Amino acid sequence: MKISYKWLQDYLKTELSPEALTDRMTFAGIEVEGIEELGARLKQIRIAKIETRIPHPGSDHLSICTVNDGTETLQVICGAPNCAAGQVVPFAPVGASFGDFTIKKTKLRGELSFGMICSEKELELSDNHDGIMVLPPDAPIGTDMASYLGLADTCYEVEITPNRPDLLGILGVARDLSALLQKPLITPKITLPATAGCIRDTLAIENQAPDLCTRYTARMVQGVTIAESPQWLKDKLLSVGLRPINNVVDVTNFVMMEYGHPLHAFDFAQLAESRIIIRRAADGEAFSALDGETYRLSSRDLVIADAEKPVALAGVIGGDNSQITEHTTDIVIEAANFLYSTVRKTSGRLKIFTDSSYRFERDIADETTEIVSARAAQLIVEIAGGTLLDGVIDVYPAPKPTIKVSVRPSRVEKLLTVAMDGTMIKDYLKALGLECVAEAADELTFSIPPYRKDLTREIDLIEELIRLHGYNNVEPRFFPQTIMNRRKIGSRRMLQDIMVSYGYSEIVNWSFGDPEDMDHLKLDAEDDRRKTVPVKNPLGARFSVMRSSLIPGLLKTASYNLNHGAGSLKLFELNKVFFSSNEKLPMEREMLSGLATGALHETFWKEKNQDVDFYDVKGVVEEILEQLGTSKLRIVQSADSFYQAGVGADILYRNSKVASCGKIDPKVAEAFDIGQPIFGFEVYFDTILESGKVKSPVFAAIPKVPPVVRDLSFVVSKEHSVADITKTIRSTNPQLIKRVVLFDEYTGKNITPGSRSLTFSIVIGSDIKTLTDEFTNKILQKIMKKLEAKHAVEMR
Amino acid sequence: MKEELQKVILAAREEIMQCRSLHDLMLLKSRYTGKKSVLNGFMKKLGHLDPKERPTFGKTVNLAKEALVELLTQQENTIKEAQYNHALASQRIDLTMPGRRQDRGSLHPVTLARREIEDIFVSLGFDVAEGRDIEDEFHNFDALNTPKDHPARDLSDTFYVGGDVLLRTQTSTVQIRTMENYAPPIRIIAPGRCYRNDNDASHSPAFHQVEALVVDKGVTFADLKDMLNVFVKKMFGDEIRSRIRPHFFPFTEPSAEIDMLCVNCRGKGCNICKGSGWLEMGGAGMVDPHVFEMLGIDPEIYTGYAFGLGIDRIAMLKYNIPDMRLLFENDIRFLKQF
Ligand SMILES: [Zn+2]
Repeated sequence: MKISYKWLQDYLKTELSPEALTDRMTFAGIEVEGIEELGARLKQIRIAKIETRIPHPGSDHLSICTVNDGTETLQVICGAPNCAAGQVVPFAPVGASFGDFTIKKTKLRGELSFGMICSEKELELSDNHDGIMVLPPDAPIGTDMASYLGLADTCYEVEITPNRPDLLGILGVARDLSALLQKPLITPKITLPATAGCIRDTLAIENQAPDLCTRYTARMVQGVTIAESPQWLKDKLLSVGLRPINNVVDVTNFVMMEYGHPLHAFDFAQLAESRIIIRRAADGEAFSALDGETYRLSSRDLVIADAEKPVALAGVIGGDNSQITEHTTDIVIEAANFLYSTVRKTSGRLKIFTDSSYRFERDIADETTEIVSARAAQLIVEIAGGTLLDGVIDVYPAPKPTIKVSVRPSRVEKLLTVAMDGTMIKDYLKALGLECVAEAADELTFSIPPYRKDLTREIDLIEELIRLHGYNNVEPRFFPQTIMNRRKIGSRRMLQDIMVSYGYSEIVNWSFGDPEDMDHLKLDAEDDRRKTVPVKNPLGARFSVMRSSLIPGLLKTASYNLNHGAGSLKLFELNKVFFSSNEKLPMEREMLSGLATGALHETFWKEKNQDVDFYDVKGVVEEILEQLGTSKLRIVQSADSFYQAGVGADILYRNSKVASCGKIDPKVAEAFDIGQPIFGFEVYFDTILESGKVKSPVFAAIPKVPPVVRDLSFVVSKEHSVADITKTIRSTNPQLIKRVVLFDEYTGKNITPGSRSLTFSIVIGSDIKTLTDEFTNKILQKIMKKLEAKHAVEMR
Repeated sequence: MKEELQKVILAAREEIMQCRSLHDLMLLKSRYTGKKSVLNGFMKKLGHLDPKERPTFGKTVNLAKEALVELLTQQENTIKEAQYNHALASQRIDLTMPGRRQDRGSLHPVTLARREIEDIFVSLGFDVAEGRDIEDEFHNFDALNTPKDHPARDLSDTFYVGGDVLLRTQTSTVQIRTMENYAPPIRIIAPGRCYRNDNDASHSPAFHQVEALVVDKGVTFADLKDMLNVFVKKMFGDEIRSRIRPHFFPFTEPSAEIDMLCVNCRGKGCNICKGSGWLEMGGAGMVDPHVFEMLGIDPEIYTGYAFGLGIDRIAMLKYNIPDMRLLFENDIRFLKQF
């Protein structure tokens, strides 16, 4: 539904800007879905005075004017015949935009023009294009036209929730806002004009379907003059997106927008036998509507008929046989209420969706029927003239009793934690039109106005109270506990699960260590792992310190199992290690360590088995580090003494050691009674967790074109690492080179000792276009040149 | 001539039906339906016939030709189908040979039990809190109302690493630290490793325990009973009840020992439960007001309960592990069972 800011001001004076009001409506539960600035075009047009005018020397119909817009005097070329010095006119300066075109500085037959003097048509005020629009001489120079004409306005597109039919008119919205802003609501004063005759002598009404039409009222005006509406009425309707039609129809639409209750006007002369019958349609009965279509009705539809034919589809659309035309003199004003479900079904089945059906299908109140009828009668006589017949025909078979609902202040506090006393509750609800009719200890009873059908229980009133009090004014009270370190517990489980998926079994060793193990690991005297925490009353010498590494325990477990018949093992432990510190309490760190020895996989008949090597444990570490969210890792020779020199790596992240992996030095293995090659790794779990937050994956658009894959083979000295070579390749064109994958390493026959042959797969792709062979070849050439220069490679 | 045609057709049909190779079928096709085919020969002979018979005979020849073409197509499909089936037959394999599996490792039974316990309590609104293994006497004993001369503080019971620095004997230390750092309401479990100076068949010097602590307004003894019942049922099954009976712990008042129905005999009595039908699970009770006072929590406003359970024992009962030593021996034949 559309609401105009200015129209709203008729019922509620507020200084709030249109933007501030948007906010208030949103928090009152009236969702603003869109905002449209009205008069935006006119806002650019300034009122100016033509100071001089001379004919254009190079043209017989153009004139050269100087125009003063209040701030400066500009030369403007004008083609209008009526333009004259001294006129006050609407002036569009350079930069003003009229939809498709923008006013620019131009040269017309050799003379410069800095703007345009506008006609009424150019301003969309009328179809008059005979000449420029001339304003009264006292029009204020410099003012914009939108303000001058009073057309500056804001139109809100609001969504009315189904429980609030009372908000289907601007007055209803104003009522809600008045309660919210605590400003008085200004309701229109309805005074009926002088009457003559008597409606009952002129018109007969018969309601044959009281179950579907809960109230039907009719008033009549004789001798109206159908004409265009006055400007103010047209402006009002346009401001909420309604098209002006004629004065009588415009009044019915105006009143509908005002009260949210639709009305209809019939041409009395077209009503056969001067009768209105409210009845179910006959199955298959034809009805030609205002929209020019003819509909086949069924007995489930409700029609308003005269003695012969349907003249309206109740609550949905009028008939073309009884509509107001320029020849109409006597009119019947229908204000009624229809069962919402019937309107909804008829409108849905016939696919006729009107402002009227939109409202009736939301179950509006019977009570407003009589009010809007009087309001329309008043305005029609005011605007279209004529005489109101005396009286109203009001068929209202079963008026509904007033509903009363009680609310307990104690309950309000219990539910909202907001304490409200009786006065506060009464004030809030009174603003919504609820009258307090009884007051007892901790119980206030209110009579519910008929337009608030949604208020039937105590909880409904409590909802209104907090809506008016403001959701923002509820203080937080309960602070949910945030004790759990979800990241640590989640990451720990993830690590364990990765290890299991790589075939590793978890072990659990006691936390005690043997000081001699530090020697077995060949740790030097300065190593942190020598700073152990001694136990004063240990179980024995072998358990006399708190362990500072998980590796000795793992090696002992491996040795135990190898001695008990296992040939291949993959083991890990995720647990704490301890270091003495200057603090009272020693340092505790969580680590993940593992060992692998023997066959890489369990035997599978299709393949020859391989033994575990360095790259197998490195792969596990790489997987874990990636899953923990680290990137840009650096690999250096390990500083750990228990790895075999040259076959151990430390992995650095942001300059901290976060992992290591390598072949356990054979002498170290031997110290733990292990005679076969065995590989180990360690992940510094706590260090990684402390190094920063894990980033969530961020989606990258999937390329529309498949990439090109090219292989590159060359011989290179072993001095150059694969990491360096990969970097060199990528750096050639980081945008287009998506992946560089080592494909093969070869040493031996035909390769100089100290060198190796490497093959890389290079994935090149653009996100937007298919790369030509020529282009990819160029990239490859560049890569080769770079490799030759940097790594002295020899292409194969 | 009609009889002659009949003969040719019969022979052709026979030959086509017998044909088993696509190559031979091609030859037959050209012999019988091609330009220089026998049937076309008949067409050429039409001129010798009585003009009246010509249309009928011509039609007969054409129909015969169409039928042969149809038969040829059919036979071609039959041969192709047979060849396809033959080719697939040679690809038959031994379906019983093992499929490719990823090597799968295993989680330690203590980890499995701990995860299940954590998940049950998290689903019941608890946070998991963790703490240090090495603690001071205050958090391990004093704050838990343990008298200075209590035997638990002895070197024969507790490992010490410094003057009043020790290896925690229970994860209640985490409860104390949580109450120091967070205001109620508190609803946590604290799983972790504890240490006691014991080493025999039923005691390990390092073991795993989970403790729970709930502090809020209106927490009662009934809530404790309910929570224990719910946990035991979720962990061991709906038919396993729990019960509590009076006991003494310095930290709680009233205190209770927790029993659950024997998972092996469901209460009838067996060697696991030593004939009683019940298994001891741990201790519980309402937090002693004095503990609250020491931590600055008003016992008139807040009440709370706590309980502690052995994770190792739960793992042993859950997975039917007969000897505690198996848990820490790390025999791969044991580990791979989980
Ligand atoms: Zn038993």
